[in-house]
Amino acid sequence: MGDTTSTHYPTAMSNISRQMRRPVVQRAVFSFSQQAPSELVRAKLSTSEIAHRALTYIPDDQLQNIPEDDNTYSLFQGFQASIPEGESEHRKGHRRRSSKQHKLLGAGDVEEDGPPTIQRLKKKRNAVNHKLEMLAVRKNMSTTEIRDIDHKIANLQNVRRTVLDRLATLETDEAEVEHELLELDNKIEEMQEALDEQSTLDQSTSSLNPPRAVTPDSESMDASFMSQSLYDKLPSSSSPKSKRRPTYAKRKSMPVLHEHLESGSHIRTIPAHNDTISALDFDQPFGTMVSAALDDTVRVWDLNLGRCMGFLEGHTASVKCLQVEDNIVATGGMDATIRLWDLSRAKYEPYEHRIVENGDEDKDEEDDGLGFGNEHEDAPPPPPPDAMGDCPLFVLEAHVDEVTALHLRGDTLVSGSADKTIRQWDLVKGRCVQTLDVLWAAAQASSTMSSTEPQWRPTGRAADATADFVGALQCFDAALACGTADGMVRLWDLRSGQVHRSLVGHTGPVTCLQFDDIHLVTGSLDRSIRIWDLRMGTIFDAYAYDAPITSMMFDARHIVCAAGEDVVKVYDKTDGRHWDCGTGVTTSVEDRMAGAKTSTVEKVRLKDGYLIEGRRDGEVGIWTC
Amino acid sequence: MPSNLPYAADAESPLKPAELQVLRAQYEKEGDYVSVQTKFNYAWGLIKSNQRGDQQLGVQLLSDIFKTTPERRRECLYYLALGNYKLGNYAEARRYNDLLIEKEPGNLQAASLRQLIDDKVSREGLMGVAILGGAAVVAGIVGGMIMRGSRRR
Repeated sequence: MGDTTSTHYPTAMSNISRQMRRPVVQRAVFSFSQQAPSELVRAKLSTSEIAHRALTYIPDDQLQNIPEDDNTYSLFQGFQASIPEGESEHRKGHRRRSSKQHKLLGAGDVEEDGPPTIQRLKKKRNAVNHKLEMLAVRKNMSTTEIRDIDHKIANLQNVRRTVLDRLATLETDEAEVEHELLELDNKIEEMQEALDEQSTLDQSTSSLNPPRAVTPDSESMDASFMSQSLYDKLPSSSSPKSKRRPTYAKRKSMPVLHEHLESGSHIRTIPAHNDTISALDFDQPFGTMVSAALDDTVRVWDLNLGRCMGFLEGHTASVKCLQVEDNIVATGGMDATIRLWDLSRAKYEPYEHRIVENGDEDKDEEDDGLGFGNEHEDAPPPPPPDAMGDCPLFVLEAHVDEVTALHLRGDTLVSGSADKTIRQWDLVKGRCVQTLDVLWAAAQASSTMSSTEPQWRPTGRAADATADFVGALQCFDAALACGTADGMVRLWDLRSGQVHRSLVGHTGPVTCLQFDDIHLVTGSLDRSIRIWDLRMGTIFDAYAYDAPITSMMFDARHIVCAAGEDVVKVYDKTDGRHWDCGTGVTTSVEDRMAGAKTSTVEKVRLKDGYLIEGRRDGEVGIWTC
Repeated sequence: MPSNLPYAADAESPLKPAELQVLRAQYEKEGDYVSVQTKFNYAWGLIKSNQRGDQQLGVQLLSDIFKTTPERRRECLYYLALGNYKLGNYAEARRYNDLLIEKEPGNLQAASLRQLIDDKVSREGLMGVAILGGAAVVAGIVGGMIMRGSRRR
């Protein structure tokens, strides 16, 4: 004991002298009388005490830095205000016993039921005053708290931005590494193939052309493959052959960046075409996009890098509609054909399989085929036969006028044409399995139904002349919805080939249509968007914009439209909010007056909050929403 | 502002357990983003308690507030002083209280707290001297006995 105390005192002494040396806390401590020995002993003996001291110790620089007090209320006032009324009274009673006595007396007064005295009223007044003060304090507390929260939000936003940047870099790195992996895979495959070929060559020099087999694929490609244009935009680092395993098809990682960006933020703008975008679609966020424009080209884009991957060549006129489904692309053009492309194979084996449906069109087909035949005579050696079996590409020719709408789902493709028919195609067999005559159906419906219901009624708008007869299509299993130029939306049963419901409402040609399991959303040149209840066949909701709607798509949360403006019109289904997204949003009125050039949005596509818009000047903008 | 500080006597009246529980629940509910006021409420409730552990936690929370919110530092000084006074850490209590008096010479609560600390320290100081003196005497006796015992052997 004596030992410990004897060590305590010197340390305590040094402790105190250290404190005395501190400039701020210069206190006249020259004896232990200022500090109780019990405190010293306790502080030195118990570890929890020491820990507590360490935790609560406040450094001197903080003690020096004490700003002037400019708070509107003190913490203690806040404390008083936040204690519930009854409890605070209880507390007050503790603080001033005399006041409790008074209160009791006052209570007694009330019980006496005597006339109100000035004293009592004054007391009451004081109480009310106190209440008022407390309310003011609480109000101040709330405002301060809101300010605090604002600060915190600002801080968190900053942190979020940093993390978002980090996420962006990570995704870029990820894509790069994946690309590297892919290249390595391809190299291995190539070497394997070279070995195999070598061995087969050694065994027998049969059908294969020896020099070609020896020539590296890429070289032979460069030398002889006809559709050079398809390749000159390919990423130069990899030979066409290395595209056998497409990144977009087998990406291991799923980009999630756009989900974390603020809605309406710009991801990328691609100057895709030189003329109005006529159709576009993409498979998944940061995946592959296919765009078509009135400049008569169809281009494939890597959305992650914003680079053109190649051209889809074959249509002899503009493509008016297209859809990307995994690796399959379906395009429908003004040349009345529908072409199907397999992106995973299209890189080096694009025009292999063609199927002629109608005998009477054999000749045209032959001619076409000849042209292509010439091309793929020069094509590089075919890939293994099983790969070919996996990647058939069709040309579907049966329509006699331009194809204006198509929809692909599973093995079924439906297409609508200006020849006033809708055709259903079986993609396994590669032929047309059903033709629906819209006018016939309309006529039949009018004959079987009451004559008062108009079945084909030209809307008499000027736009009709230019509007597509079949504006939009979508099928699901045996259900087919189509919107036509008469403003009608017809629901067909593909099994019977009959219209089983007509949705009347639009007063202009229907240009776009999409349904999920509950609702059908249609957009029309009559400027309105209509949301129908699919089961009831009744209108569920409708709203309109200032100009005809040319394109519309919805996902789980938003309905986006192109409505003749330089912005995409977005409707938030969950909170019912309308907002704009696109370059036009930041263009001020003054800029517009000054003649700032912005281009009208023609087509929109939306998937999982990843929005792509194609403009009249050929640019494609990518946004989050 | 000085009128908005409680006197030391206020710190000696503990809250009812239920009341303290309300404050604690509020504090815990707000989690990581607890507001200063809630933190203070809980800390002050803890300091008013009779449990030494509670008081320590209270002082700890107050020092947190002091460290994180400069605009509340001046107020916190007083409560830190008060809390440390209740804990018996008179040196710390004096350190904070003197600083507060330096800033606000007219602060009645701080002045009265200084008086309290002085009283306590002088009283405990005397007792402490007595105890320590007694301990020294005992040690001396024991030591002497041991010495004597060892010499005897």
